[in-house]
Amino acid sequence: MRATRGRTLSQRQAALVLLAPFLLTYGAFLVYPFFRGIWISLHDWNLLAVAFNPDAKDFVGLRNYERVMWGRGIVWGLAAPFWQGLGLLGLAWAAVARRRLGKGTTLALGIASVLLIVLPGFHPGEGGRWYDRRFWPTVGNTIRFVAWTVPGVTLSALVLAAALNRESRAMGLLRTLFFLSQVLSVTVVTLIWQIMFSPRQGLIANVTEVLGASPITWLTNEQFAMAAIVIATIWWSLGIAMILFLAGLQDISRDIYEAAALDNARGVRAFRFVTLPNLKRTITLVVVLQIILHFQVFGQSHLMTQGGPNDTTQVLVRYIYQTGFRDSELGRASAMAVFLFVIMGAFSVIQFVLGREDAS
Amino acid sequence: MKHVLLTAAAAATIATGATAQEVTLGRFFGACEEAGTDTTTSVGEACIIQSIINAADAELDGITINTLPTDWGNYYDQIKAAYAGGTPPDIHVMHRHRVPEFAGLGAIAELSGDLEAAGIDPSDWAPAALEAVSHEGGIYGVPMDFHANLWHVNMDLMAEAGLVEDGKPILPTSPEELLAQAQQFKDATGQDYLAADFAQFPIGVRLVLALMWQQDANIFTEDGTATIDTEAAANAVTAITQLFDAGLADPQLNYADSQQAFLNGEAGILVNGTWVVDFYDAQAADPDVPLSSYYAADFPTLFGTGATWADSHMWAIPASLAGEQRAAAMQVLAFINDHNIDWARTGHMAVRNSVLESDAYADLPHRDEYAGTAGIARDTPPSARYGAIQDVLNRELQAVWLTGKPVGDALADAELEVQDLLDR
Repeated sequence: MRATRGRTLSQRQAALVLLAPFLLTYGAFLVYPFFRGIWISLHDWNLLAVAFNPDAKDFVGLRNYERVMWGRGIVWGLAAPFWQGLGLLGLAWAAVARRRLGKGTTLALGIASVLLIVLPGFHPGEGGRWYDRRFWPTVGNTIRFVAWTVPGVTLSALVLAAALNRESRAMGLLRTLFFLSQVLSVTVVTLIWQIMFSPRQGLIANVTEVLGASPITWLTNEQFAMAAIVIATIWWSLGIAMILFLAGLQDISRDIYEAAALDNARGVRAFRFVTLPNLKRTITLVVVLQIILHFQVFGQSHLMTQGGPNDTTQVLVRYIYQTGFRDSELGRASAMAVFLFVIMGAFSVIQFVLGREDAS
Repeated sequence: MKHVLLTAAAAATIATGATAQEVTLGRFFGACEEAGTDTTTSVGEACIIQSIINAADAELDGITINTLPTDWGNYYDQIKAAYAGGTPPDIHVMHRHRVPEFAGLGAIAELSGDLEAAGIDPSDWAPAALEAVSHEGGIYGVPMDFHANLWHVNMDLMAEAGLVEDGKPILPTSPEELLAQAQQFKDATGQDYLAADFAQFPIGVRLVLALMWQQDANIFTEDGTATIDTEAAANAVTAITQLFDAGLADPQLNYADSQQAFLNGEAGILVNGTWVVDFYDAQAADPDVPLSSYYAADFPTLFGTGATWADSHMWAIPASLAGEQRAAAMQVLAFINDHNIDWARTGHMAVRNSVLESDAYADLPHRDEYAGTAGIARDTPPSARYGAIQDVLNRELQAVWLTGKPVGDALADAELEVQDLLDR
């Protein structure tokens, strides 16, 4: 009896034992590399040189950040009137509608607006220049990609989910079909779409030719290259958003629709006044998850356009990859990666804040 | 029965697993699943190299070769990551332009002490081949070829345009003649005069580089000063953009599309490397392919001096490789060196004097048509930042022909960025 009791673990100990495998893996593969990445970003660190001689790195403090994000003779002013104006509008709206928006949303909107006013204002003054002329345009491309993809995925997934939210064999089949693209790897997806977009053999080119127009060279045309990778991405990542929306839709009680029907709200009106408000949390979740996911876009740009033409589809992760592996400049690459982490971290905080507000 | 099986299994283990030295091999050139071991009949880079590797695997006693899966576009990133992780392949292919970077860091082995024991005779290598694998007095690889840009010609279309004389294509000798002949070609055939990958892969960069070298100019000097915003560079770029402006060439085709345009008979000339000569020759023989009369011409001289972009493929082994493993790797390199004539079948130029002087080499298809290429082969000065510099040029030139950026602005921006890279 005593022996048995000796081997019993307290609740705390049992929890630790059960958590240990996870904590160890998490620490070794996430926490340690994260701090190691920050450490590397403070060094002049050549990938190959350090591999052969661990002393071949120099501590340079924040110079990698300066070399990547700053420049010579940088001044602040009204450099991007559109974005800065949008920031001012956002700030005004946050001030006017702060009661209606709630504390967290007002704060998020306020911070976003201030950033929108301040950040685009920096530009090289007379005789000045960015040290790295590609970094900010690359950040801009990444934001543009996210700004097209996220609404694209959200809207099309929402429409599909609403249309497929019925119990019949055909709908089940269609749901599976639409989800199928999600299970493909990025290599397969980009291969499919490279063939689709090919101006010689592509399906799209064949259709445009039948209509009498000359085929668009999607992947090498400055105007269409970003659209091409956005379209491929929407097709690819539709599935999971659709499933989330379907789950959200099935949570809405039929009684509400029946009550709405009595008030003469059917079809589009029911969608507007019943479905959308009830899906608010799901929409928020889908949007934030997609933002975090698509900031990490890499494969589509790398495989379909190689960042071109003229860098119009160069995205942040591809730039990090090139800097780290092609150019062997691990320190600079890590500094950019830390920047990306800050952006994604900010959106995670926004999701956290909005989620708490909904719950309350 | 069980006993017999066990004995057989044990014997098999002793015969293969226990004594065989496994050599891992990294290469690009693409995959070829059905290469076989006959090195004399395979077609195309991927299958020819794989048939040589398969033959080495079969014929070299006690050595098995494991070809690692790699991909063209990311090859050097994979190799670097493998070196950084301490697990590089035992032998791997690379370009001469990467030697300063890999040899400079001490990643790849200096081989001059190993060659003789493995049966490789460096005195049989052409002087330029020896130079290609040399770095600061040492030999850092076994050269496999010279490859260069050619003008691949559709002779039927050229004849239709009156641009053939004595069975040879009439090619331009100045930028003005280039424009005039291209216009003459378009008027007669209705097709584009010239196609190349100007949109993705840096073939357009190599074209501009060749035209700069033809004016005795270069993109940077040996001492590390960028010289891109120059009159020579502007001349080189406008020699090409005049074709786009006049609608005589399409800048928006990528590698696959430009090749397809050429094979479909939609372009008279394709600018591409030596690596496709045997492939286009085979395509021209195929009755289903519109291209039927194919000629591989030297890159024409539009300015004073003859020049075309060129590079070399070579094989290297990691400096960390030692003992039996190193000896086994050297044997594989010797086997590849012995099959230089088979590799030359791709269209690449051989590196061994004994092969270059052989009848078998002279008899390779189209070989006499681009015999002048070896004499005009050029490349940029050595730099550890070759990849990044090429990327800058590719972006800025794409900006010119795909997005209408003024030539002067693009060259000024390219010079700034290349200087940044050289200064880092």
